[in-house]
Parts: sequence; structure tokens; C-alpha cells
Amino acid sequence: MMVAANGIWQKNPALAWREIENETVIISPAESVMHELNDTGSLLWRSIDGRRSAEDLAALLAEQYEVSARVALADTLELLDELSRRRLLITIESAPVEDAA
Amino acid sequence: MSGAPQLAATPLMDRLIARTVRKRLPLSVHFDLTYRCNERCVHCYLDHEDHGELSTAECVDALEQLAKAGTLFLTFSGGEIFLRKDLEELLATARRLHFDVSLKTNALLVTPGRAEMLWRHGVRRVQISVYSSDAAIHDAITKVPGSLARSIAAIPLLRQRGIQVKLACPLMKQNLMAYRGVLALAESLGVPYILDMTITPMMDGNDAPLDHRVSVDALLPVLQDSTLQSCGTKVAPEDGFATAFFGSAVSSGIENSAYEDLPCSAGHNSCYLSPYGEVYACVQLPMPAGNIRMQSFRQIWEGAAALERIRNVRESQLPLCSKCEIRSYCERCPGLAWMEGGDLLGAYERACALAEQKARLTGVTSPVSAWHKSVSVASGNPDRENKPAHQERPTVN
Repeated sequence: MMVAANGIWQKNPALAWREIENETVIISPAESVMHELNDTGSLLWRSIDGRRSAEDLAALLAEQYEVSARVALADTLELLDELSRRRLLITIESAPVEDAA
Repeated sequence: MSGAPQLAATPLMDRLIARTVRKRLPLSVHFDLTYRCNERCVHCYLDHEDHGELSTAECVDALEQLAKAGTLFLTFSGGEIFLRKDLEELLATARRLHFDVSLKTNALLVTPGRAEMLWRHGVRRVQISVYSSDAAIHDAITKVPGSLARSIAAIPLLRQRGIQVKLACPLMKQNLMAYRGVLALAESLGVPYILDMTITPMMDGNDAPLDHRVSVDALLPVLQDSTLQSCGTKVAPEDGFATAFFGSAVSSGIENSAYEDLPCSAGHNSCYLSPYGEVYACVQLPMPAGNIRMQSFRQIWEGAAALERIRNVRESQLPLCSKCEIRSYCERCPGLAWMEGGDLLGAYERACALAEQKARLTGVTSPVSAWHKSVSVASGNPDRENKPAHQERPTVN
């Protein structure tokens, strides 16, 4: 599965997490599995709010770090994909696709 | 860019512990919401009268402070937590603040509705005290007729909601050999268990609970039981959460080899909060560090002299214990050293005797702890009749 750039996500409400010294520890209660995000992952995690799309998140990443928009979007999509696979994120909707015509 | 966003490699728990110890962040907090209880267990170390519990607003404020300070693992305990009428509100607050929540309870008041409420607020684990699979033994300890049946009835209600359940069985004179029944019960229910050989004085120093403590010699059949496999801890490598056969039912739950030369997590990345707002390094180390009614949690955590004193303890620098030849068999607890021996850095009779017993079981010939050696030399009595008396509870100004 690859997530869409215009998809919108929110954090799985069942999770426990804490940002500790720029890294985020996440626990899935159902499986008692621990996950950890590095500083850039934590920036994205902090910014996932049920309103921002992957493109919005990638733009935040590009603002904070020396990275091109293209790489930021690719990295963001990859992380969102992995977080979705691990059921740490829930896709709530896709932003409306603009009419190509 | 400092690296692509990713999920970091395992072992995560070791890394988390090492990082929070290094940064002195209170990763794990044991918060007793009340000392009131609907059981009257013979060995209990608490005064069940309400001497002015934190209000709901004070508890919410405490939780907000803990979240800001970096606490992730939160254990609500007591007393009996379901006697707090605001328990649901406090759990909702804990959920809002994204804590990983565990509960310790006797489960007498768990109903299908309350099990659903716990699930709804994201409670991950519930530890239930069970003293025996024999109601006569269990109920005699709790002094509540029918309590075993009610505690056991709660287990499927919780598990049906996907909440993990663990049985905790403190061992004492009344139930020493009943652990086999608890073990069988846990296995039949498919839940883990913990056997706790620790019976402590009351928090006010009253040592009446020690009357129920089993002598080290009487513990021999338990220590020899091959079905318990070892006195160590089994760790599931995939997630770093430990499954212990023996341990402390009141511990932080994050014991780990990552502590290296530290005695335990107490004061380093874990602490205890009482229903009256007092902060201690651990419930078994009730050396007052401060009160959140008087100071912020951060002020206490970062500035309390009592915590600093505890943080300075290193296993390798303990005056006697570091020289002990059977140190590897010992499970010395700094809190019990302080409560029972009066010295945070000292040895105490129970730990030394248990270490000697364990060493003997593994084939060590005539093991003698460093402390017992020193007592024998000092008294000229090789039989160590001159054991130190239990001292008055130490205090710190």
C-alpha cells in the first residue's frame, strides 16, 4: 500500500505516546508493542492533526530541514505508509482532487 | 536534513531507559489515587483512613505536570482505585494526555460496564491481587468473604475488552504454598503472574505486617520449585516488556539491565506519588522528596535533596555489599535497606539471608554475605546470633 499525497490522517486514538528529547515513543495498547520515531518523524507525528495532508506535512518538513520539496514529500509518504501499516495512523479522508480539466 | 523520518531500531526499551536515566526524566510514575480500600489485607502497609486525598482538580493538575515532565508509563493504584468516584474522569484525563495506563486493583468492583469504561479510556494492563485459588485462604487474608470469586470474575470481563490482566500474589505465612494454585489459575486463564516475597513495614514505620512474613528457611520449597524456572525475569525480545515470575508487585515495572550500576529505576526515571501529593522515589522508599501541593512536580523532581541522595547510590560503591562474594544472588532493594536496616547504602538481614539461601541452592558451599561476615567478626560469634534489630523508621530533614 502506498499512501496518497493528498490523504488526510489522524493518530490512532488508542495509542499512548510521549515525545522525549525530540524522539517519540509510541505504544499500541492492544499489542503492547513499542515504536519510536526519530526527530524528523517526531516533527511529522506532532503535526498530524486530522487536517493536514501529506503535502502539508512535507512542506513543514522542508521548512524545518535542509531538504528539497521532492525528497521531503517522498520521505513523508514513506513514513505515513509505514505508520499506517502499523495501525498507528488512521486515514480519515482524501483531500478533494482538483479537476484536471 | 538530519535523517529520513523513520521508526527506530530495537531494542527500544533499553534505549528508552538509558536515555531517560541519562536525562533524568520520570518515565514511569506510580500514582496511588487513594489509600482507602474495600479489603483489609492482613499484610497491607497502608493506613486506609482518608487524611485528605488530592481533589480531582489536583489530580488532573498532577497528571498534566507529569505529562509535561515526560512521563509515559502511568500506574494508578491504591488502596482500591475504584473507590475514587472520579476514576473515570482521571482515566479520561490520562487518555487525553496520552499516558500508557496500567491499574492495580483487587477488582472487586469491576463490572461489565466498568470493564468497558477502562477499555474506552485506553487502559492497557490491569494487575489483580490474588493470594490463593482457595477462597478460604484468599478471603481470610483480605478479610472479605467472597472476595476471591469477585476478583476472578473480573478477569474475563477485562480480557473480553482486550485489556491485559496479570495476577500478583504476595507470599506470606497464610498462603505460602498456595502459590501453586495461583500459578495453575493463571495458566488456566492464560494470564501472567508475579510472585512477590516482599512484605514491608507500614509506611508510617509500624512493622506489624512483618508478622506475616515467611522466614527465609520456610521459603525454601518455593525457591526450589523447578516449575518457576528461575528467580530472574523473562523478557519478550520483540517488545521489551518483561514477564517476571518473582518480583515486586509494587515496582515500576520497568526493571531492566540497562540500569547497570544503579540499584533500580527509583528516582532515576521513576517515582511515586501518594494520594496526599507526596513524591517519593518509590512506594518502597518513602523518603519524602516534596509535596505537589507546595511545589511543582518539576521543582521536586529536579531539586529535591532526598532524590539527589538516592540518585548518588551506585551498586559498586556500597560499603559492604559491593564486596560481597554472593552479590550476584542478591536482590537488594535500596528502599528496604532504608526501611529495614536504616541505611540506604547498607545491607539488611532479609536480603542477605535470601542471597545465602539462593547461593546454597546453586551449590555454593557455606555461602555467607559480606554483612553477616562483618557481624560475625564484630561479635566474635560465628553463628550470627547478634542480628540487628529492626530500627525506627529513618527520617530526613
